[in-house]
Amino acid sequence: MTTAADPVSAARARLTPGAQAALVTVLVGCVCLLLGPNLPWLTAWPAAWTAPATQWVGVGAEWFLNAIKPAARGFSEVLRFPMDWANFVLGATPWPLLVGGATALGWAIGGVRMAMLGFAGLSFVLASGYWAQSMNTLALVAVSVPLALLLGGAIGILANEFTRIRGAVQAMLDVMQTVPTFAYLTPLLLLFGFGPVVGLIASAIYAAPPMARNVMLGLERVDAEIKEAAVMSGGTRLQQLFQVEIPSAASQIMVGVNQCLMAALSMVIIAAVIGGFDDIGWEVLLTMRKAQFGQSLLAGLVIVAFAVIIDRMSAALALERRRYDPRVAYSLIGLAVVFTVVFWSHLPDPATFTLLDPLAAAVDHGLGAFTADNGARLDAIKNGAMFYGLLPLKIGLDDAVLDFTWGFQWTAAMSLALYALALVAGLLLALRERLTGGLLLVIAVGMLETGIANLPWPFVLTATAALAWVAQGRGFAAIATGLLLTILLSGLFERALLSLYLSGAAVFACALVGGCIGLLCAVSPLAWRIMRPICDMLQTIPLFVFLIPVLMFFQIGEFSAFLAICLYAVVPMIRYTRHGLISTPGEMIEAATASGATTWQTMRDVRAPYAAPTILLGLNQTILYAFAMLVIAALIGTTGLGQSIYLALGQADVGLGLSAGASMAVLALIADRLVQGFAEERRRALGL
Amino acid sequence: MSSDTAPAITCRHVWQVFGPDSEPALAQALAQSGGDAAAAAVALRDKGLIPAVQDATFEVAEGELFVIMGLSGSGKSTLVRCISHLLDPTGGEIRIHGEDIVTASKQRLIELRRNKLGMVFQHFGLFPHMTVAQNVAYPLRVQGVKQAARRAKAQTVIDLVGLSGREDTYPRELSGGQRQRVGIARSLVADCEVWFLDEPFSALDPLIRRQLQDEFLQIRANLNTTIVFITHDINEALKLADRIAIMRDGRIVQIGTPTEIVLNPVDDYVREFAKDVARGRHARVASVMHSGDGGGHVRGPDDPGLRRNMTLDAALAKCMDLYEPVPVWDDSGMCVGTVHPAELAAALQVDEA
Ligand SMILES: Nc1ncnc2c1ncn2[C@@H]1O[C@H](COP(=O)(O)OP(=O)(O)O)[C@@H](O)[C@H]1O
Ligand SMILES: [Mg+2]
Repeated sequence: MTTAADPVSAARARLTPGAQAALVTVLVGCVCLLLGPNLPWLTAWPAAWTAPATQWVGVGAEWFLNAIKPAARGFSEVLRFPMDWANFVLGATPWPLLVGGATALGWAIGGVRMAMLGFAGLSFVLASGYWAQSMNTLALVAVSVPLALLLGGAIGILANEFTRIRGAVQAMLDVMQTVPTFAYLTPLLLLFGFGPVVGLIASAIYAAPPMARNVMLGLERVDAEIKEAAVMSGGTRLQQLFQVEIPSAASQIMVGVNQCLMAALSMVIIAAVIGGFDDIGWEVLLTMRKAQFGQSLLAGLVIVAFAVIIDRMSAALALERRRYDPRVAYSLIGLAVVFTVVFWSHLPDPATFTLLDPLAAAVDHGLGAFTADNGARLDAIKNGAMFYGLLPLKIGLDDAVLDFTWGFQWTAAMSLALYALALVAGLLLALRERLTGGLLLVIAVGMLETGIANLPWPFVLTATAALAWVAQGRGFAAIATGLLLTILLSGLFERALLSLYLSGAAVFACALVGGCIGLLCAVSPLAWRIMRPICDMLQTIPLFVFLIPVLMFFQIGEFSAFLAICLYAVVPMIRYTRHGLISTPGEMIEAATASGATTWQTMRDVRAPYAAPTILLGLNQTILYAFAMLVIAALIGTTGLGQSIYLALGQADVGLGLSAGASMAVLALIADRLVQGFAEERRRALGL
Repeated sequence: MSSDTAPAITCRHVWQVFGPDSEPALAQALAQSGGDAAAAAVALRDKGLIPAVQDATFEVAEGELFVIMGLSGSGKSTLVRCISHLLDPTGGEIRIHGEDIVTASKQRLIELRRNKLGMVFQHFGLFPHMTVAQNVAYPLRVQGVKQAARRAKAQTVIDLVGLSGREDTYPRELSGGQRQRVGIARSLVADCEVWFLDEPFSALDPLIRRQLQDEFLQIRANLNTTIVFITHDINEALKLADRIAIMRDGRIVQIGTPTEIVLNPVDDYVREFAKDVARGRHARVASVMHSGDGGGHVRGPDDPGLRRNMTLDAALAKCMDLYEPVPVWDDSGMCVGTVHPAELAAALQVDEA
């Protein structure tokens, strides 16, 4: 035994970093709690301390945007040509040709299955009566995707060639992908004016990072010996790059193309909120506003049909593939041509197709009947979730527990009792060598009692810094604190807390539900067979479409937003949990089985610890997904930064839009790095 | 080796140090140790740098087959990559046919690789998106050779390595042995003068390995290239090499002919390698005989008829029951020296000592 001279340092040495961080956080929380009533600036950041940062950003950005406006307008004039052209081609081509073309393309890429997909998908679009709007959307995608591919490809290649800028490029790509989609639109609106060009450019910018990332990754992963063989063959750098490295990285790059296509489609549809362009996204928005949910669902399904076709076909390109007889594809096109020529004078205008309208009407009718019958039950679900879950989280037990919600009024005595209980439980845990757990329990109870939206800023700053310190060390703690301070100074902190509350609640729910589903899928192949297509579908559907079903049942409001976020963000949690749990090396499981462990013991003692880093990465994805959806959900009623960004778009307020967008990105980046840090730590602990 | 023509490859005090700011660190370490390589390497390691090649100095003669051997991680690949300039050496001088390649321009390096250097890789380094013929013809394609001409040239090397008929298959459809044949063909298509092979057969099954070694020797007999061949297998080294350099932890610890390595290992590390070898089958009588005309020996009827290039095993079998020095004859029937049977036996016993 060592004898420590100084009891304080001896105690410190015995505390893990986690316990130290938790202890500091508890202390700061206590101080805020005790002094809060007397020192109001401790709880709420005084307005006098905020700098008019949003205005400054606005003025600066507007000055800058105005300066480059002529160039931008010129650029948009140039873009008008390909756009008009794409519009013309897609709009003027008779629909049988396009349906035939999609089928033929499907055949060439993936044989019968893809051909059927192309045929069925486009037929559905045709039958929906939204043909023209769909072609407008498609025209935007058709122009923005090549732009995004070029931009992303160039960034990826340059970052690969000049290793010195790689770090900076990575950081830029991170930011580009975490800045919420709507936030892109406001400055672009100012630059290019109302019109489809904004959506086009926004989607090109938004879709470039995945391409760049995959190009970088693909080039980096090319076998070192293949690169060396190209060098030793006497190729110039350009020959090496274009004749050897890029073709060798083709399948990874195709993954980038796939992601790029999906991102572009998603953004083009989101950009419909600007309006002024008769595309399918606008149709969804319009019908949603008019509460015509049947039509809205139909339009949403058209979007889904496109997403599925584009996704599956481009994903098939990334795989090693068989060659399919091109003659079949040619005959399909020939058939379409013959059909078009023969029926030329009888070809109906696709806008007159109303095959599915009865279905839409039936949905509306059925929904009306359903809500009429079950309105009370739906309301009960919604109110239950709000009163007993979301509201206490948001504003704390002392404000949320009222006579008319919980049936009694929260009193100061109850608060005291709760704290006392938490302290006792915490102490008990601490005495059983679980000090960190005990402290975390106290913190959790304190947060529940106060409510996330009412958390005092010193506490938030300390807690974030403490977490950051544990996860990534001192440097990151400083950066995180600095970034949070800028949010504080710009006066957006309250809204940031509101965003944090809603995304936090959604992430928590996703972690719980997704974790359980993932676990189920890991033990039961049948469950995974059912869940897998659902997960695939949820990840293919553009964000926008998630709003329709939740609106149908729960109307506008925070609960609907919460549900939409959960629906979208739960998928990575399911996938990663399952993947982590099933990818435990067989030898380890055999060793556990040989030691006599039951299935559940193996799960708890072997699989779960081994899967922890993977599951944490899933959580990380879930958090990023939640932030992305949070902004979209602003359309149906959320408070917080998402709402600010959406409002800024409506008022063309660049300052607010950029600041709120940046704040959102800051929150997402901090969360991202925190979880990554923990995942990394777990992985190191396991020696992976 | 005539002294007026430059050796094919000259390496002088070549260092390769991995890690940040390795060049100043190396200069400083050398200055501090007064040029003592071992001490400098220790100093570099202490700083967290990796001295993967330390102070390598050797020459490879024109037409020689020079094998570099050592355990995995001993720096063989790094050294050969310095010579082919896939890596820029941290320090030292490397010449190919007298031309300094460390300071050569990018353009000149491309020219050298197009006309002079060829390389074969351990894991083949085949381009996955190209067929066998396209892979093989690639060094010609980068030079702008016309399609028909390069196809014809590629065909001759494809025939040479015995892959006729597989021209239009893709690498993934070939077995390991076939893939390495493609790698060999590709490195030969541009008529290289210096040929680098980095553990070309190590990834293959023993049977295939032996077969490819034999074919390699045949190919080599018809070329007059200088060859640097890397291996971690002592038997492969002994079978192929004119001379062997043995590397350990970045240092070359011994350079010598196969016989010298087997009979006179400089330290335990080399001895450990040599232990696995039935040395009677590798060492020749010439390595243990006393030169001289043997006092005008005339070949008697009971002379065992030892020859210079007989293996020790064979020689010992012939003079096992003799106790006098035995004359050794060359091919023309001249007596070139004597060997004592006891010395023969002793030479075979070294490793038990
Ligand atoms: N690019 C590199 N960066 C850092 N260390 C390297 C690098 N390449 C090789 N090394 C190290 O140099 C040493 C020699 O490696 P190598 O030349 O590949 O050995 P061998 O070919 O003999 O197996 C090893 O310790 C290896 O880890
Ligand atoms: Mg090697």
